[in-house]
Amino acid sequence: MTITRLLRQITLLMLCVIMTQLAFSQTKTITGKITDDKGNPIQGATITVRGSKVGTSTDASGAFSLNVPANAKTLVISSVGFSEQEIAMQGKESFDVSLVAAASSLSDVVVVGYGTARKKDLTGAVAKVGAKEFNQGVVTNPIAQIQGKVAGLVITTPGGDPNQAPIIRLRGQTSLTGGQTPLIVLDGIPLDFPDLLNNIPPGDIESYDILKDASAAAIYGSRGANGVIIVNTKKGTAGKPQVSYNGYVGIQKVAKYLDMLSPNEWRAATGAAGAGIDKGANTDWQKAITQTGMVHSHDVAISGGSKGFTYRGSVNYLNQQGVVINSGKEEYGLRFNAQQKALDDKLEINLGIINTTTNRTLTNYTNITKAFNDVPVYPVRNPDGSYYAFTDFEVFNPVEHINEEYNKSFEHLNLLNGTINYELIKGLKVGATGSVSHFNQQTHFFQPAYPVEGNVNNASDGNYNTDSRKGDLHINYLKDFGQHTIGFTGVYEYNYFTNDYLTATGSNFLVPQNLDNNFTSAIDPTKVSAGSYKEEYKLISFLGRLNYNYAGKYYVTASLREDGSSKFGKNNRHGYFPSFDVAWRISRESFMKNIGWLDDLKLRAGYGVTGNSDAITPYATLLLYGPGGRYYDAVNNIYPQSYSPIQNPNPDLKWEERHGKNIGLDFSILNSRFSGDINYFSDKTINLLYNQYQVPTPPFYIPYILANVGSMTNKGLEFSLTARVIQDKKLSWTINGQITFIKTRISSLSGTFEGYPIRTDQIPGSSAVGRGLSSYPITYFKPGYAPNVFYLPHFVGVDKNGNQLVDSAGTTGFASSANVDKFYTDPSPDFTYGINNTFTYGKWSLNFFLRGVHGQKFFNNTSLDFANVNRLPGNNATKEALTNGIKDAAAVSDLWLQKASFLRLDNLTISYEFPHMKGISNLRAYVSGNNLFVITPYKGLDPEIQATNTGSNQAYIDVSYYGSAFYYKTRSVTFGLNVTF
Amino acid sequence: MKNKIMLTGKALALIFGVTILSFSCTRLDTKVYSPVPDANFWQTPEQIAAGVAPAYQALQALPDGNLYEMSETSSGVMITPTRGNDWYDGGDHLSLWLHTWNQDRGFINGLWGDIFNGIGKSNFTLSVVNSLTNKPSNIDAINAELKALRAYFYYLAMDNFGNVPLVTDFNTDPNSVTNSTRATVFAFVEKELKDNMQFLPGNVDKSTYGRMTRWAAHMLLAKLYLNAGVYLGAGNERWADAISECDSVISSGKYSLSGNYFDNFAIDNSGSAENILVVPFDKTYIGGNNWEMQTLHYQSNSTYGLTNSPWNGYCATADIYNEFDNADKRKAMWLVGQQYGADGSALKDLQTGLPLIFTPNVPSTSDPSPAFRLVGARSIKYHPEAGTGGNQSNDMVIFRLADAYLMRAEAEFQLGSPASAAADVNLVRERAYGEAPGGAHDWQIADVTSANLLAERQREMMWECWSRQDAIRFGTFGNARNPGKGADADAHWQIFPIPTPQMTANSKLTQNPGY
Repeated sequence: MTITRLLRQITLLMLCVIMTQLAFSQTKTITGKITDDKGNPIQGATITVRGSKVGTSTDASGAFSLNVPANAKTLVISSVGFSEQEIAMQGKESFDVSLVAAASSLSDVVVVGYGTARKKDLTGAVAKVGAKEFNQGVVTNPIAQIQGKVAGLVITTPGGDPNQAPIIRLRGQTSLTGGQTPLIVLDGIPLDFPDLLNNIPPGDIESYDILKDASAAAIYGSRGANGVIIVNTKKGTAGKPQVSYNGYVGIQKVAKYLDMLSPNEWRAATGAAGAGIDKGANTDWQKAITQTGMVHSHDVAISGGSKGFTYRGSVNYLNQQGVVINSGKEEYGLRFNAQQKALDDKLEINLGIINTTTNRTLTNYTNITKAFNDVPVYPVRNPDGSYYAFTDFEVFNPVEHINEEYNKSFEHLNLLNGTINYELIKGLKVGATGSVSHFNQQTHFFQPAYPVEGNVNNASDGNYNTDSRKGDLHINYLKDFGQHTIGFTGVYEYNYFTNDYLTATGSNFLVPQNLDNNFTSAIDPTKVSAGSYKEEYKLISFLGRLNYNYAGKYYVTASLREDGSSKFGKNNRHGYFPSFDVAWRISRESFMKNIGWLDDLKLRAGYGVTGNSDAITPYATLLLYGPGGRYYDAVNNIYPQSYSPIQNPNPDLKWEERHGKNIGLDFSILNSRFSGDINYFSDKTINLLYNQYQVPTPPFYIPYILANVGSMTNKGLEFSLTARVIQDKKLSWTINGQITFIKTRISSLSGTFEGYPIRTDQIPGSSAVGRGLSSYPITYFKPGYAPNVFYLPHFVGVDKNGNQLVDSAGTTGFASSANVDKFYTDPSPDFTYGINNTFTYGKWSLNFFLRGVHGQKFFNNTSLDFANVNRLPGNNATKEALTNGIKDAAAVSDLWLQKASFLRLDNLTISYEFPHMKGISNLRAYVSGNNLFVITPYKGLDPEIQATNTGSNQAYIDVSYYGSAFYYKTRSVTFGLNVTF
Repeated sequence: MKNKIMLTGKALALIFGVTILSFSCTRLDTKVYSPVPDANFWQTPEQIAAGVAPAYQALQALPDGNLYEMSETSSGVMITPTRGNDWYDGGDHLSLWLHTWNQDRGFINGLWGDIFNGIGKSNFTLSVVNSLTNKPSNIDAINAELKALRAYFYYLAMDNFGNVPLVTDFNTDPNSVTNSTRATVFAFVEKELKDNMQFLPGNVDKSTYGRMTRWAAHMLLAKLYLNAGVYLGAGNERWADAISECDSVISSGKYSLSGNYFDNFAIDNSGSAENILVVPFDKTYIGGNNWEMQTLHYQSNSTYGLTNSPWNGYCATADIYNEFDNADKRKAMWLVGQQYGADGSALKDLQTGLPLIFTPNVPSTSDPSPAFRLVGARSIKYHPEAGTGGNQSNDMVIFRLADAYLMRAEAEFQLGSPASAAADVNLVRERAYGEAPGGAHDWQIADVTSANLLAERQREMMWECWSRQDAIRFGTFGNARNPGKGADADAHWQIFPIPTPQMTANSKLTQNPGY
């Protein structure tokens, strides 16, 4: 194979280079100061000598000092967010350089996984977002900092719950049931599971690098199919110690309430029937369970160091009240990292420690749903101040429940990592990395016995640990060889993971004031039970990557990773994930030299294979027995646990495989006035994992099996553009925008298992929920369609009696139990986009960020349930119930599938940078608002709101019933301060 | 210098190699902590008991699951009308009442899964225990019990779906599985029970509570023969064999009718001398008996001290309720009229403010009006258990002695012995009316008619999952009934369709006629 031959030749070439590398030379010292165009010092700017590996970075005052070879000719100065500058040295030894802010600097260092590259040298589709571009305001989950900023990366905040994880999808849906969240890599170490990112203080994050295409993500092998988000934390820079404070205080309010009947509207609508249950109160239950939430966050960091040693330490505190009463999050973080160089800078040691404690006060969403069920004529409290107690099916006093339930999660995250690198010979570094991750979650729940409800008090506690130990040995080689630049990275990596938990539940405790702290006090000891579990798995990998470029014009990257995982079946223990990229910097061609307006033009093409094995549990391939429920042993009058096989073992089980092709164009024109990129991708995922592929019983023990069967495709087009429309000394206006088109189709759900055909014509996705709506799937995974395609009867109107009519071989009502015709509707959006505008005028800056989705449809299950007069008088209903003419039972049809395009003003920030004051190197104050308006035809609460307990399968459904429910979206205003001393 | 570099390279390779090897860092072996690998199981008698139990546990899905509603609603003794916004459920319940179901309905595949789950577990367990190196000492009894249990599941499969795949070996090639005829499955069930009868336990005590005994096997054979004309076609009736199987149970002397009908269904009914095979349930350990939730009204929790509001679903129409005369003590299974709280206060429907009065008349299948929420007679045959909200402790009955008497009576009637039939029926009726033999409600020979026998079976066996096959056997299954159901156009409704997901998963299956 030609690629193999090429790799071998490159390897040989590389070895030759090592053999002949013997250069020693004399040096001289240069010094200087780097500032921005306003004269402010730039900390952390990189100064390198062209054609050598010599380099340093500036301290807090922008100063640097560097030993350079005597024959050095050109300095290259770069910093994140600024255009790279090349300075001819001309024998000078002191340099004061002013950098121009860049929209998208080609010199930005991008972390590409097991190494770094400059943006201009990238061959894959990789996006970078630096701290300057982050969303501001109430951003308590880190990933929300880049919501809407990156083409192809769709981040959805399902509601306003401080404890809810955002939904992250990179380049569309990639799997049926496996995890679809990108792999999150924090400072080079993959997090054990993506939601751990929510336990990292946002203020510590410096930048995100997003590996979008399969060729870029292939270096992460069997974990790369959902894409990779690399999170880089802030590091120290040499110089005098610098103390900085970043903080804000804000308020959050419910963005929109459901339009329920007011007490008097309810009275008018229910008449005599209502009068029978009217307690004379006027209660807005939605207001009763919500509040204005205070948020405040404080980060204090100290950084500094000398030439060989740099450090940064920070403490963080965050306190966020939810807009639902008795909910919130409090987080304490302590982080430290340090870099030590020694032995003539040949030895480099990095250490990092992250320690956060997150105390969550959780919301039981089923309590929120009672605010829509309860009639508005019951009081919240009795005259004596006690709660007014009442009960019915799905009806109780939610204020009492929310306030009286003790529902906590205490989380502790410890991440330790260290890297040691030694430059064996020039350009050749060897090193090792080790890391330990420990995440402990303690859940505490207690529910008291409520008056008139007949329940008994009950408690459940859990102690969950997610641990990993990871290590690697790596070798990096980088060498310019005339016009040729060659890089090689080789890594051996070992990952060991364990998960374990211990849980206890109990009920009917003697003294309820003890909450969940005294399980032995249960009156009936059989009402207390405990559970425990432990599992482990390993991932052992070898990977290599070769980079080659000629004259910064022609680039080739090839990589190969081998993943061996204990999760895979014995017939498929090792997976191979290759990638191959080429890039052509057209602008460096001599025939382009005369085109002055063109700064950079690069064409990229890549192919890669990535995997996803999230759906495979550690022992899914084995015949194992587990508890199968209890049975009765009458002789001993006991209920022993039965044991039965927990799965149909599948020794062929392996990763899902995404084969991705990407073509991209990067451009920058008119001295970076306009820059951007375009990517087209076409990916196919094969061997789709699904744990519900139906197999016949008998002979199979269990009627479904986890197997690699189906396939799906993702095709998309992404555009990003940055335009520096006005670029004066005093006034500037910059627009960043991105737009993403993605089309996902399921190609097949059929395949084989051990020679037996597995055929699935469709897989039910999520169901409509509500009273009288049991087991009614409305979305499906079906070949030829987008995932979560709706399959619904077509609503045509109501008859004179208010019966809903559907189009079914002539028009018919539901009530006759007719088996009505149904039709497919694709709810997925045509495109998603984000537009950011930044204006600066002197010391003032105005930034606003609009984000939108076009062409999507949402199933308004909330209206289906609540816009129905049959709810009266015992439950409240929405105002729509009185006007929509429906008099029969709530029934599923496309009446409820509503247009849900939207344009949201996600963020508006006005900031002022104070003039220099003695002792303060930087002082900035800002006011920021989040979710200030939404323009949408959607009739529900919010076109992005999602019920969350059901995970990704509940996509495109807005519902608030029992276990499937939402938390109100919020609107917030914050005031913040950044100070550096 | 070159040498030095070569040396460095070698040292480097050595360091890498040694590090990787010395930590065995390429081995992917892992420990299994919480589940149990096959090799570690089936070692002790307790493990064998725990390993055999899942086949029995498959029974837990039946008497209060899909089988329950499919049998009792399709035959008209139970209805779940659409009450306002409640219980429409995509038309599932109405389709059973109206005979308009199809192969895509969830409950069709649900029942298939419930039944074949038991068959799959029986097959697996038989395969595993018989290949153990150290077989348990009671292997013969284990085999016989599992085979008799599997015969019961196959009986249900054959009764409900007609032509089903007959797979008796766990290691069967899935590609070879296709439908067998009803007659083939019938013959298999018959042979399997007869072959294993002698190895089944004959003792009736705690050690056989909830287990397949010889007597349960006889009851199952009696059911098989009683319906032989349905299963094998007219002319293939096996009435005499049915009598003989009932005789075996009745004359064993192991069982007697409980003095109080309701003792058989009580919260603690393990003392019943009448029950032959039950599925044990328990409020703490074995959930799944949700009778109280399905039928009672939302406010009935205050009558019975339940911890949750029930669901206001299953009920019976006036036609069914009125089959019981007032002297019939069994009529106490129905709740009608004003309901009261535990404190004696008259309850109201909180949602509508109406007095909580159950009325047996169900005028239509669907109505959003407030009063319609309260229609239908509710059942407390399995008495609600205070302190539960679902998951009550009453063990649910599959076979009991009264059924043996009624089956024998029916077969005797069919063979032209109405006097014997009346004698058997009267044993059951005397208990129902609390009368001595010769009492006012005893049947005379003239009372022994097909219609009366069916009505008596309905009263005695109400909501015990036999109503569908009884109605089919007595020829009333396809009749029109109120509210809303016309007569069936043909007999294809007598068996359920093969569920679509099963047809999809196995392309070799053939759909039942009419679907």
